[in-house]
Amino acid sequence: MMNQTTQKAVSAAQAGETDTIVNYKPAYITMGVMLVFYVGIRIYEQYFGWKAGLDSFAPEFQTYWMNLMWTELPLEFIAFCAIGGYLWKTRDRNIDAVAPREEMRRILTLIGWLAVYAFSVYWGASYFTEQDGTWHQTVIRDTDFTPSHILEFYLSYPIYIICGWGAFMYAHTRIPQFAKRISLAFLMFFAGPFMIFPNIGLNEWGHTFWFMEELFTAPLHWGFVFFGWFALAVFGVARQVLDRVIELSKEYEKDALAL
Amino acid sequence: MSASTETGSPAGKTWKSKEEFLGCVILTDWILLVILFAVLLGSFHIHYMLLAGDWDFWIDFKDRRMWPTVTPIVAMCFAAAAQSFFWTRFRLPIGATTVVLALLIGEWINRYDNFWGWTFFPINLVFPSALVPMGFWLDIVLMISGSWLVTALLGGLGWGLLFYPINWPVLAQYHQATEIDGVLLTLADLIGFNYVRTGTPEYIRMVERGTLRTFGKDVVPVAAFFSGFISMLVYFLWWNMGKWFSTTKYIEIEEV
Repeated sequence: MMNQTTQKAVSAAQAGETDTIVNYKPAYITMGVMLVFYVGIRIYEQYFGWKAGLDSFAPEFQTYWMNLMWTELPLEFIAFCAIGGYLWKTRDRNIDAVAPREEMRRILTLIGWLAVYAFSVYWGASYFTEQDGTWHQTVIRDTDFTPSHILEFYLSYPIYIICGWGAFMYAHTRIPQFAKRISLAFLMFFAGPFMIFPNIGLNEWGHTFWFMEELFTAPLHWGFVFFGWFALAVFGVARQVLDRVIELSKEYEKDALAL
Repeated sequence: MSASTETGSPAGKTWKSKEEFLGCVILTDWILLVILFAVLLGSFHIHYMLLAGDWDFWIDFKDRRMWPTVTPIVAMCFAAAAQSFFWTRFRLPIGATTVVLALLIGEWINRYDNFWGWTFFPINLVFPSALVPMGFWLDIVLMISGSWLVTALLGGLGWGLLFYPINWPVLAQYHQATEIDGVLLTLADLIGFNYVRTGTPEYIRMVERGTLRTFGKDVVPVAAFFSGFISMLVYFLWWNMGKWFSTTKYIEIEEV
């Protein structure tokens, strides 16, 4: 009797779980973890930036900064490959048979991915990038791999790239409208900010020729601006997502308009 | 994996009930707005800091000529693009105010946490320029006129003209003249000289210089009018950029 009750409860719970149309909890948790992580990084930076980050030839710089960079870069590469590989490996191979409710569930999951991507874009493009300006105008750099760069270029940028890659791959492998063709807006929304990372090559190459830290608005930095513009393709992605939500919700159109 | 399953809803239906639909849509609308806000914050901030940042970072860069010229022009780009999206697609006259608010949130967090918290510059050296009243102006012109052409012409000009007056109440005190060791300079200059940065040297600082100074008190109106003129042109361009980035086109996989 006891066993039957438990089984029923488990079945009900499973049914409820699979039938949940929207679950943003994983996105909230991811953003919470990211927030805690970045606050921790900021505290590390506060302490070891001044204590061990002023002279790149000093042994403590190697210990506290270069080791951090050589740790984060491989981990990021592994995470990028793992997320892309997992999403591709587990892709829906019968995408034409996705039922409307399941499609809606996946669209809402994609919105969770996009929320995480947006949050990571804030940290990379806003928080750590402007921070770099004040550090380099204060502490004269003697290397391309400065404390602010190790956290900006080689941590916060790869993290938002990984999040954007995850969102793009999730859509491409699970949502019919994004699986059969490539959304131009989504491609720009992911690839534009992604290109900021290779642009670091131009930036640092230029900095090895010209000091160019006197002004943050130096033309050498404008490559970042150009690729940053492509994040505006979030407009097109939002439209495509909303258009499909409307199509799938025709029966409640009047209720939505009455809101 | 084949996860194309459906449980709990009527066959072929998306929603189990109207309540489920409404609850989900309202929540998701809010999340989409937060996504738009965060992405606009990030992309506008990187654009703004790398095209107008130095004038916005430091009080001794906030002069009467370059700052009121460069800053509104650079800020207009994202204001116009956001208006294009929110107005054309949703008839919401909130685009300009939303993006400048997003930018200012990103800037204030940075100025406190990093400029002050990490590199120890006083806030009165590094506070950002005010932009919100300009956002109100641009959105109100669009709302009342319902025309992006009128907004470009009237709103764009006002955008440039408003910048200096709305910042003046905070800035005026730093433009008080002072004399140190026989040198006449402003209080803003004095603060700047006391906190040496790579941008401190006079040959680097892009502030008012040259023949325009001979116009004396007319420097600001001339700069503001010029800024308004360019802002009009920028508005045209970036309204269309906003439209272009709102594309819903798809590319065939074979073409990629």
